[in-house]
Amino acid sequence: MSRAALLLAAVLLLGGCVERPDGAGAVTLIFKHAKILGPTDPIPGLLREFERRHPGVQVKSEPLTWTSDEQHQFYVINLEGATPSFDVLMLDVIWVPEFARAGWLLDLAPWVTREELAPHFPAAVEAATWGGGVWGMPWNMNVGVLYYRADLLAKHGLAAPRTWEAVLEQAERVRAAEGDARLDGILWQGKQYEGLVCNVLEHLWARGTKLLGDDGGVLPDPERAAAALGFMRGLIERGVSPRWVTAGDEELTRRPFGDGRAVFLRSWPYALDLFEQADSPVRGRVGLAALPGHEGGGPGAGATGGFHLAVNRRTRHREAAVALVRFLAAEPAQRALTAAGVALYPTRMALYHDPAIVRARPSMPRFHELMLAARPRPVTPAYLMLSTTVQPEFSAALVGVKTPRQALDHARRRLQYMLSGLQ
Amino acid sequence: MTGRQRADRRAGLAFVAPAALALAALALYPSLWVLWLSLQHRVPIFGIARFAGLDHYLFLAGDPRFWNAVRVTLIFTGVSVALELALGLAVALALQRQRTGRRVAISLLLLAWALPSVVTAKLFEWLYHPSAGLVNVLLGGRALNWLGDPTTALPALILADVWRTMPFVALLCYARLLTIPPEVYEAARVDGAGKLGTLAFVTLPLLRSILLVALLFRTLDALRAFDLMFVLTGGGPAGRTETLTVYAYRSLFQTLQLGFGSAVGVVIFALVMVVAGAYLRVLRREGAVA
Repeated sequence: MSRAALLLAAVLLLGGCVERPDGAGAVTLIFKHAKILGPTDPIPGLLREFERRHPGVQVKSEPLTWTSDEQHQFYVINLEGATPSFDVLMLDVIWVPEFARAGWLLDLAPWVTREELAPHFPAAVEAATWGGGVWGMPWNMNVGVLYYRADLLAKHGLAAPRTWEAVLEQAERVRAAEGDARLDGILWQGKQYEGLVCNVLEHLWARGTKLLGDDGGVLPDPERAAAALGFMRGLIERGVSPRWVTAGDEELTRRPFGDGRAVFLRSWPYALDLFEQADSPVRGRVGLAALPGHEGGGPGAGATGGFHLAVNRRTRHREAAVALVRFLAAEPAQRALTAAGVALYPTRMALYHDPAIVRARPSMPRFHELMLAARPRPVTPAYLMLSTTVQPEFSAALVGVKTPRQALDHARRRLQYMLSGLQ
Repeated sequence: MTGRQRADRRAGLAFVAPAALALAALALYPSLWVLWLSLQHRVPIFGIARFAGLDHYLFLAGDPRFWNAVRVTLIFTGVSVALELALGLAVALALQRQRTGRRVAISLLLLAWALPSVVTAKLFEWLYHPSAGLVNVLLGGRALNWLGDPTTALPALILADVWRTMPFVALLCYARLLTIPPEVYEAARVDGAGKLGTLAFVTLPLLRSILLVALLFRTLDALRAFDLMFVLTGGGPAGRTETLTVYAYRSLFQTLQLGFGSAVGVVIFALVMVVAGAYLRVLRREGAVA
């Protein structure tokens, strides 16, 4: 199993499917999900356990296509076509309000109480309960974090940075002192895609502003937003980030840091599992910190991500489908998903302090803090429209084709037009 | 018209009918449906379905992102097709002169063309890798930011497309070259034509119609270019590699603005039809197409 494949476990792409002959059971549930890649896939075992507890119900796994875009497209076509061809679906947290607004998901409110949701991270629950319903059960969690080379910072007498200004200064100091042309300062994801939006959001939050205001207005504080984009562009111009971060995605940025060629990296929890593998050049040298804030701004916060489980509103087996979703989101199932070798992070907070889990994965309590302090991307059914509209503008500011002001201005005008069409 | 002719015509129509019906069902109906959609405000997620008239087209007329996509599509098409034809022709001529290893050369050419485009895209992702990529290593260890720089991203994609589809042109030309009888070249030699003269006055004119066919196919393909940019750059940086089809995909399938996305689709359709119509006229004049 290559590292790349292992990482996919975390990003949760798709996989093969578990074939089972149909027959005996009166009810067969179809469960659409990404296969968990890695040395062990706990899902088939969980499904068999569910079948044992629900006699007469069979569950069939069906694989999702490879990329997030294709998964979204598959769901859109099938759910809009009102097909009952699958009952339970795994979906990206940013799609939950969209699918709920479209009327494609079964409202779980008659079955799932607020108390049942309380043990999950609030950021995940916020997406699941958009507009007052219960559209899904949180299943796994993701958060933007800052990795740093603890050995290098210690060597130069530095502590983990709490502000972006400190990141900049420390990166320049370490690079100057090391005198290694191949050592970069900070790596992050600047390619024109969803990851860029997460990175920009984190810089907006660090400046004390956001993408969508409380009244739904777009980019409520252009001053601070321009400062945030300008700072990101500045990282590239000053050489603290290499020019290629403007094409960088998760893997392109994780590899150089994992090879010891960067002081800082903004990434997701999956990366730590790879840094701590036996043959990793940076094993035992990586520190984990919250994303920085700004001097005079707020504290930093990472963007959250993750996957939810939901029920297709057209299902012919409501009770069984709801039971499966609740079973998979419950403590024993989430514990199994957190077992060694699976780089997934549960949405149930208690598991982050569970002695057995913490022994195998010592950074769990730290991730718990980081996830608690993190913030969701705008929870709105128009999120994808929002994101794909701002991506080219943010990218234009990063590569210097537009000034931050121009880029934000264009993004805002376009978004206002698009969102006004939805009234 | 005699009764016999009328009967022939009726029989002819009957024979054509199944094909015509299939075409109508598979091509005409969806096209008309998309055209109809493009005149609607249709966003299923928000339950919006109302007549829009020409709203979307008017918005597109003043939409910088749309005009940028038009520009990118035209540059991509013009440059990549020109390079593919020039290189494809050169490779075909080289193949013809090659004495040994022709089979191997043709297999290698086919390999590039037969790779699924997503695989090609992944391959080039590594070739263009800023620090470990072969392209930068070959350029003497430079750290050029191929896919992340607004000036080099489109040329990098064009290069990948040329690599992938030049073999198609080369094989078409090579096949035509094989059918040129040696006597023609002999006659040219007897008339005292040099190598360049033979190429300019014998080979190229004989290749003309096949080159036009290749031009037609390649242009129509390039106008609809999608997968390379979608996988490699996602249309970035700064939208500098966003073609019309990528824009249409984002509007249709990512943000589910079915009406607006359809309007972009209709523009692509119109563009392709205009180009195809122009080429077909030229080809007819050439007598290459009956």
